[in-house]
Amino acid sequence: MKTIAKEKVKELLRSWTKEYQVVVPTKTIQGDCLFDTFQEDSFTLDYGKPSLPPKSFFLPHSDVLFSVEKNEFREVVSAQKNILFGIRSCDMMGLLQATSFMTRDREDIYYKAKKDAALTVVMACPGPQNETCFCTTTLSGPVAQKGFDLLFYDLGDAFLIETGSQKGKDLLTSDLVADMKEATAGKKIEAFKQKAVQAIPLVNEVNEAMNRLKDGSVEEGVWDYFGGKCIICGGCAFVCPTCTCFNVDDYPSAPGKGIRTRAWDACLYGGFTREASGHNPRATQASRVKRRHEHKLRYFNKTDIQEGLCGCVGCGRCSDFCPVHIGTLEVVKRIAAK
Amino acid sequence: MTNSITEFDDADMFLVIGSNTTAQHPMIGMRIINAKERGAKLLLIDPREIQLAGFADLHLRQNIGTDVAVLNGLMNIIIEEDLYDKEFVEKRTEGFDQLKSIIGRYTPRVVEQISGISAHDLETAARMYSTADKAMIVYCMGITQHTTGTDNVKSCANLAMLTGHIGRPSTGVNPLRGQNNVQGACDMGALPNVFSGYQAVTDPANKKKFEEAWGVQGLDDKVGLTITDMITAARKGEVKALYVMGENPMMSDPDTTHVEQAISNLEFLVVQDIFLSETAMKADVVLPAASFAEKDGTFSNTERRVQLLKKAVPPPGLAKADWEIISEVSRLSGYPMNYRSSADIMKEINALTPSYAGITYARLEKCHGLQWPCPNEEHPGTAFLHKDRFSKGLGTFLPCDFKPLAEVPDAEYDFVLTTGRIYYHYHTGTMTRRISILEREAPEPFVEINPDDAKRLGIRSNDMVELTSRRGSIKAKAEVTPRVPRKVVFSTFHFHEAPVNLITNSAFDPISKIPEYKGCAVNVRRCV
Repeated sequence: MKTIAKEKVKELLRSWTKEYQVVVPTKTIQGDCLFDTFQEDSFTLDYGKPSLPPKSFFLPHSDVLFSVEKNEFREVVSAQKNILFGIRSCDMMGLLQATSFMTRDREDIYYKAKKDAALTVVMACPGPQNETCFCTTTLSGPVAQKGFDLLFYDLGDAFLIETGSQKGKDLLTSDLVADMKEATAGKKIEAFKQKAVQAIPLVNEVNEAMNRLKDGSVEEGVWDYFGGKCIICGGCAFVCPTCTCFNVDDYPSAPGKGIRTRAWDACLYGGFTREASGHNPRATQASRVKRRHEHKLRYFNKTDIQEGLCGCVGCGRCSDFCPVHIGTLEVVKRIAAK
Repeated sequence: MTNSITEFDDADMFLVIGSNTTAQHPMIGMRIINAKERGAKLLLIDPREIQLAGFADLHLRQNIGTDVAVLNGLMNIIIEEDLYDKEFVEKRTEGFDQLKSIIGRYTPRVVEQISGISAHDLETAARMYSTADKAMIVYCMGITQHTTGTDNVKSCANLAMLTGHIGRPSTGVNPLRGQNNVQGACDMGALPNVFSGYQAVTDPANKKKFEEAWGVQGLDDKVGLTITDMITAARKGEVKALYVMGENPMMSDPDTTHVEQAISNLEFLVVQDIFLSETAMKADVVLPAASFAEKDGTFSNTERRVQLLKKAVPPPGLAKADWEIISEVSRLSGYPMNYRSSADIMKEINALTPSYAGITYARLEKCHGLQWPCPNEEHPGTAFLHKDRFSKGLGTFLPCDFKPLAEVPDAEYDFVLTTGRIYYHYHTGTMTRRISILEREAPEPFVEINPDDAKRLGIRSNDMVELTSRRGSIKAKAEVTPRVPRKVVFSTFHFHEAPVNLITNSAFDPISKIPEYKGCAVNVRRCV
């Protein structure tokens, strides 16, 4: 097992920038936190839960798939060697689930190229990052179980580092990193995990809601309530680590030239399910909200959930950001209460 | 807005009139929805059954164009039942007796006749608003886009003053601005009568101040033309050249045939825009402008908050930021403007505009914006206006009498057409109709018609219908829905395929010069 003193982390990150684009938690001048390219003065270790999951590094908000010029077709598969440093365990699980979905039966080459070129360094959570964290319920945290290249544990003035892959190991050749005996490290990790798990309360309503959805005992009134106030921004899908739906479109980029792009989409939009005839099987906003939550809590694919509980990874961002409070937490609580 | 957006979170009551808030200002609409859940009251006055109707404690569906009568009716009951704020009226206002005498005529029965709102509902509404502790009036284009737009606004202000719902947090009269920077454009004097910060051009002291700052003599001290006036003047040949920036009057102004004649009559038309709009296609010169993501500067939003904007990508091709184009045109016209950046321009704004004096780039860099008035660099900005005194001293009641729509339905044109916007598109669609997901959500024009009318006329949803006014006809698909009352049809001005302003009425408010987009007479038939 390896360790690094906290004050040396910056130097380690800097050393990685020679070969990689290193993406780190960054504090803006206004105090907001986001993942951005490493810069000495804006890098921070005091960052909680960043507003957005790291999915945009693999499924950018908009991405070119191919271009056409003078009747010539050219596929565009772009990828950059990235290190995502400091992502949270829930986001690691989100990435595993999204990757499974995007590669399981038919490989999405645009996504996979980016995923293959990236390394993930997870920061284990010593406790909840805010009041909407429920990873202990969804079996996706506070400590990542798999998928990572490196896993950092905060020990106060140093980090303990667990390696998850050869690529991860190769990142630690620098003498900034010291060794720690396996037995000592194991004990520290165990203590860390125990404390962390206890600090993040279980949300029993998640399991309760899953059961009720399964046996069909959820009243439609629940969905009418949420559908009535949904303002159709689609934000819940955009901040969700496991939402990967996109819409494809062609644009003329110049005379004789064109590009095919894809961009994030959301099942909350009416046009998402509207058919060519004009008929819409999800005709009301209530039915769209229902469909979204059923997908996360009931109709997920067993392979895709990667040993998690369901298609939700408990990051709580939908509850953090939905302008009218239609997050997973609010939904399961209302289902469970009825 | 007299008050701030975050103050919605602490209000006890909202009077929303002429605003489809969740569709047009969703981030404010959501605050109203959340407030309802914590127990606040919502009084909605709107002819259409918009999303907020599902949350309203009371929804009054007035006949289109009768807002003054409705607001007067509310005040009549409030005075009659002694529910007004006597202390506020006495200490902070003037003209109460005149208000009382005019309002006296608008008894619930009279208002019921005019507006179609039952006297009982009107009484409930009056009590709801006047007895709330902190009540906010929220209005938008449903109030302003009438030949009585100014009267409508005055009546909202009268109501707020009468009940003392102004000058405190979570109260006030809150017009929701329709664009990210329409507040900023007005603040900067993009109006015919004022310099920046609403300093009148007719005031010799202001004229002198700006002449000195700009090193020129003889700035025009006469009030110029509004857009409505310009179009009429162009048609008469009195205006010979027009320089249009970020506007699309060929789609957005009423009575398009009239606009087209006016524009064709110009000797010279310049259009500065980010896309080749319907108006730009008619221009002699098109100047390509940078979009919001391609320039630095500030936007001033609906709550008077000035926020910094930073360039994310360089402008494509020959496009430039508007200020760069204007500076260049000015230089070539013989008056060099030597700004090196938008920050340089802000320094001039700080020096010449008292309400913006303390809003510097250095401060904006470090915060999420500052609200004017902000008279100096130590000033934190102003969350709500009219605390302790109105800008003019006492608030004057300006009572108005009800006047009907300029064009009321008759035997030949028996429906009222009201126009507006939908969630997915912005104004004439110059930008949003180029966005694939928005276009997927709302790909084509439509006309909302009430099921009773539809049945009578043999119209089903998705049938093509033709709307005809005295000015022209458009065709679009019908959406049969109780969202609109009987004898009212609703459509939007987003779609060039059915440009609704071909048939709207160009009659306008005598003071603000805003056209009556919210009501004109049409007839409806099913296309065969």
